[in-house]
Amino acid sequence: MGLQPPVYYIKSEYIETDTGNKVSRRATIAGPQNIILGGKTIIASGAIIRGDLRRTGTGHAVVISLGRYCLIGEGCVVRPPYKTYRGNFNYYPMKIGDHVHIGANSVVEAATIGSHVEIGKNCIIGKFTIIKDCAKIADNTVLMPNSVVPALAYCFGSPGQFVEDLPESTQEIVESETKAYYNRFQALES
Amino acid sequence: MSAAPVPPPPNLPSSSASFHPLHTLYFCEECDAVRCNRCVAIEVSGYYCPNCLFEVPSASVRAERNRWDSAEVGITFEKPTGLAQQLQKFEDSAPEFLEFERLKDFFEPLVRATSSSHGPGNTSHSTHVNALTTAASSALARDIPGVSKGSKDDLPVYRARVEVSGASGLGAGGDGDADIMRHLESPADVSGLEQRWLSSWAEPLHARELKPIRIPLHSRLTKRCPACRHILIKPEQKAQSVRYKIKLVAANYLPAISVNLPISQTTRKSMSIAQKEDDGSTGKSTMIAGKTYPFQLSMTNPLYDPIQVRLAVQRQQLSAADEVGPGSNVEADNAKLRRPPFAVTLPSTAFSVAAFAEAWEYEDDEEMFGVDDDELLVRTGNGASPSKERSARGKVKTVGVLEKKANTTVIGGEVVLSRDGRGDVKFNMLVSYTYRSDEPQDDNEGDPKARSTAKAVPEMKTFSFYTVVNLGMIVPKEDLTSAANAMEM
Ligand SMILES: [Zn+2]
Ligand SMILES: [Zn+2]
Repeated sequence: MGLQPPVYYIKSEYIETDTGNKVSRRATIAGPQNIILGGKTIIASGAIIRGDLRRTGTGHAVVISLGRYCLIGEGCVVRPPYKTYRGNFNYYPMKIGDHVHIGANSVVEAATIGSHVEIGKNCIIGKFTIIKDCAKIADNTVLMPNSVVPALAYCFGSPGQFVEDLPESTQEIVESETKAYYNRFQALES
Repeated sequence: MSAAPVPPPPNLPSSSASFHPLHTLYFCEECDAVRCNRCVAIEVSGYYCPNCLFEVPSASVRAERNRWDSAEVGITFEKPTGLAQQLQKFEDSAPEFLEFERLKDFFEPLVRATSSSHGPGNTSHSTHVNALTTAASSALARDIPGVSKGSKDDLPVYRARVEVSGASGLGAGGDGDADIMRHLESPADVSGLEQRWLSSWAEPLHARELKPIRIPLHSRLTKRCPACRHILIKPEQKAQSVRYKIKLVAANYLPAISVNLPISQTTRKSMSIAQKEDDGSTGKSTMIAGKTYPFQLSMTNPLYDPIQVRLAVQRQQLSAADEVGPGSNVEADNAKLRRPPFAVTLPSTAFSVAAFAEAWEYEDDEEMFGVDDDELLVRTGNGASPSKERSARGKVKTVGVLEKKANTTVIGGEVVLSRDGRGDVKFNMLVSYTYRSDEPQDDNEGDPKARSTAKAVPEMKTFSFYTVVNLGMIVPKEDLTSAANAMEM
């Protein structure tokens, strides 16, 4: 703890909210009124979050909600899942828990991602995927649409497959790592 | 991390089995010992389907053997439940299943005959296995001239139901397969090796003829200490819960140790080519042969009591093979091996690490983490000159206690690399910590003076363990220059 070097960002590039969310001005936040950020969550440069893709008919609705201490890495695309049900095309909301890190350039169309979940770089998380708490998805993994990842499962590959169970202390580790990351993510003036 | 009395040298590939990351280890309070995933006794506390997360009652796991995956193979079910039983009908008439039944019919009387001759007294299971082995070995012996042992030679000959060998045999391929291949439209039409490998010995070549197979259920496990049988891990009832009724993990007992080798950013950049791709993320560094580097170890105390920590570098163990070398060349090589390519200096005196307090968990902001890493860099100096515990004012200090912050103490060490050093700078470090075994008192907590007077009190306990410290890799000087040149182009 505390020995890892800080991750610096140019202060003017990020907007910091009252609850400590840090959102890059180079990220695309479409439909911000439909997006909830839990606090101390970082949206990195180049990320695209599609809060504008909301269910037709309803007025104001939460499309994408993210918990506390999350990280949406550089160039990630977070887009709500969609399907045609009884002849009607619709988008469905996406819920992401606390302490969830998503690596750079991953595309996420999940329905639910639990808390303390780690998703690697360059992953594709298919439509309506359900990822339970404390799961870990390795870099470059492709999860098929409608996949289910059990709690504490480590998944890898294309298509993503279960590799092994993660240790019982995963929750604590991920929690301290995500907190540490947020605290290491520091502004550099000018 | 290893609780073994003397761990193997950290550089051997085989040693990896002896060391585990702290967060994967357990701690038995009864035995006062660290336990790992390899040695704990496990029992299943619940089953669930990895595809739909359905929690399968243990009773139905036993009855139905498992659950099913479905595929488009034109199998229709009469009812939506008990698919395993419905599919059993198809399986029961499959040639390989019939063959297996026939084998059983053939061998069971033989097994019974041999086991009865062994007499009673054995447990049924081991008798069964023994009898099977006997039957199998006598069958084997019969085919090998000179091995057969008289009376057991009169085993009847087993005749297979289906002729397996030969071009027309079951799953034998031949012209039929060649014909299929010739008319193939897409590689996906052929069932994959993986699909066939794990199923039966005669799976269809056509992907469309594959039958749905049972997918293994996942389970949550209760883990017990192998020595005293006390429970170390007991999951909650709900399969997808990440909470535990009992969770005795080593991280709650042993100090967490992390290591850092401060190298200036410019050095890091110019070395990036020589480095393996992901060194940045793993925190592994490269060092230049012949130089001296300061490094930092942070110790974080999980106990509600302060601890006194003492560190020692394990001397490299010499195996018998290393000691005696017949040829002079071998001897020279061994001499090279024997001399570690680096020398590590650690603080020789004990230092304290303050107690863990819940309050710090909530105060997870600025002061707690990483902010003053730069200060550290400045204070310890960036680099090269060896400066062994120079405590004189104004001089940089690299070896000793560098900082205390909440329940973390950062200490500095130093590594001197030999001129022809190669490979990983990895060493075993013995960590001994002393703590008070009774309930903590609120006064004088974390006060080193109070601790040292308390040392005389008999309820102090010491626990020791070995850990591997990996500082990074030694890069020969010439490699580095060529890498830097490549960068400039
Ligand atoms: Zn073990
Ligand atoms: Zn025990």
